[in-house]
Amino acid sequence: MARERWGSKLGVILAVAGSAIGLGNFLRFPGQAAQNGGGAFLIPYFVALFLLGLPMIWIEWTVGRFGGGFGHSTAPGMFHTLWNKNRFIKYFGVIGIFGPAVIFIYYIYVESWILGYAWFAVTGQLNACIEGRSFEQATLAMKDFLRGYQGAAPNEHFSGIGPAYLFFVLTFATNLLILYGGVQRGIEAVCKYGLPVLFVLGIVLMVRVFTIATPDPRKPDWNVVNGLGFLWNPDWSALGSGQVWLAAAGQIFFTLSVGFGVILTYASYLTPKDDVALSGLTAAAANEAAEVIIGGSIVIPAAFAFFGAAATAEIARAGTFDLGFVTMPLVLQRMAFSELLGLAWFLLLFVAGVTSSISLAQPAIAFLEDEFGLSKKEATLVFGLNTFTLCHGVIFFMGNGVMDELDFWGVNLCLVLFATVEIFLFAWVFGMDRAWTELHAGSDITIPPFYRWIIKYVTPAVLLTIFISWLVQGGFEKIFMMKDVPEKDFYYILGTRLALVAMFANLALLVRFAWKRRRSGEAAA
Amino acid sequence: MTPAGWMFMLASWAAILGLFVFALVRTLRSRGNP
Repeated sequence: MARERWGSKLGVILAVAGSAIGLGNFLRFPGQAAQNGGGAFLIPYFVALFLLGLPMIWIEWTVGRFGGGFGHSTAPGMFHTLWNKNRFIKYFGVIGIFGPAVIFIYYIYVESWILGYAWFAVTGQLNACIEGRSFEQATLAMKDFLRGYQGAAPNEHFSGIGPAYLFFVLTFATNLLILYGGVQRGIEAVCKYGLPVLFVLGIVLMVRVFTIATPDPRKPDWNVVNGLGFLWNPDWSALGSGQVWLAAAGQIFFTLSVGFGVILTYASYLTPKDDVALSGLTAAAANEAAEVIIGGSIVIPAAFAFFGAAATAEIARAGTFDLGFVTMPLVLQRMAFSELLGLAWFLLLFVAGVTSSISLAQPAIAFLEDEFGLSKKEATLVFGLNTFTLCHGVIFFMGNGVMDELDFWGVNLCLVLFATVEIFLFAWVFGMDRAWTELHAGSDITIPPFYRWIIKYVTPAVLLTIFISWLVQGGFEKIFMMKDVPEKDFYYILGTRLALVAMFANLALLVRFAWKRRRSGEAAA
Repeated sequence: MTPAGWMFMLASWAAILGLFVFALVRTLRSRGNP
């Protein structure tokens, strides 16, 4: 079976940028920046981008293209190729399929809320819920709306989880349909149109926010410029906090989609002559533009202009979901053409979500294709049936902490662990000389030579520091002692963990089986 | 917004836009594009 390839260089760049640009760019970044020193947060953020983000981007693109040359699209095969004397390294690679699949299971449900909210914005249901209420009352009403939609408790807005389930099925089907089309006719085609649409919607919303000026003349301090100041005025004392530096590193990791394993898979569809250095840089720069420029200019400045400093501080602390599903409907309802602007906002998030979720699914699908000879359609179907079933745990037990638990394992643990193993293999086992040559094969730019030193020493040291700090600051207790788990949720969390262990063990067994199959095939040949 | 806030915002935007435009122009000029 001929290996799938990207149709063009711009196509793969847009696909990787689409994977990186997700809900976090528009919802997580502004909250993180506002809470961690404002403009001063950008200092550790840029340091992390240059010492951690860009090196990891280049490594993942290079390892992906290298592994693809041996017919592997996923981390188990790639890690084995980098260190073929080690029998166990392929099992570490399982994290590169497991992590994205775990994130996919809850991410796609959140993505379906966006589709639902786009519908509620157009039909005026969101506005109806807010109209005639004070900020406090409207906030409570929107929180109730979200809780009702999630099926947490029947209320005046929703009698059950039916609408959420309907939008979930629609979103899941959309994702599966794209994946069914394959790399070039599915993923690349959607990202080629989706990313420009996303940027246009983002710029339209940003311009609209900038033209709000001072919505209430009785409160002249409540304006967009001061809103931007809320996000950007530097609090120098924040630079002395280790937490702020860790938050910046975490944001860079999360936003660039490094340490997930998805870039490895996307890069595996390149040919050995394709550039990775410039393509990786372009995809990363597109993501940063979407995050810092567009993401930082919508929610927080608009919320400040309408609700003032005290309320915005509370909003920034309230977290990602509240920013997107509670605050933004409140902001948009106060503008002319609020239904259309609401549609633009949720469409922006939906496109960002879809281009990310398809990338989370692709490693598992590619693994089934490569190692078991399944066709694209068969692999998509097998992945779809399994994840559709597992999503029900998130849909029906979200109130018992199942989604947070998946997020903890998929993002907090897998990401840093995977990246640490990856860089160790690339710079130390594969060897920096070979790695540097491989990175520059077919390259359209020359990476500054000091990056050799950064990749070999600085990035691994930063990753180890992050991992150890995370363990010390509660990660260890959370893993082994189930710290902070409420008594009522204990068995749900335990059940989720057992399901995750079973999922990981199944994937590891599949890897073992695939390697046995491969060996017996080679022996027969 | 304080002068330092303006400085941080404009410097960050300039750095990111500069990187983005540089990378995109180089990409579009290189081989392998339709």
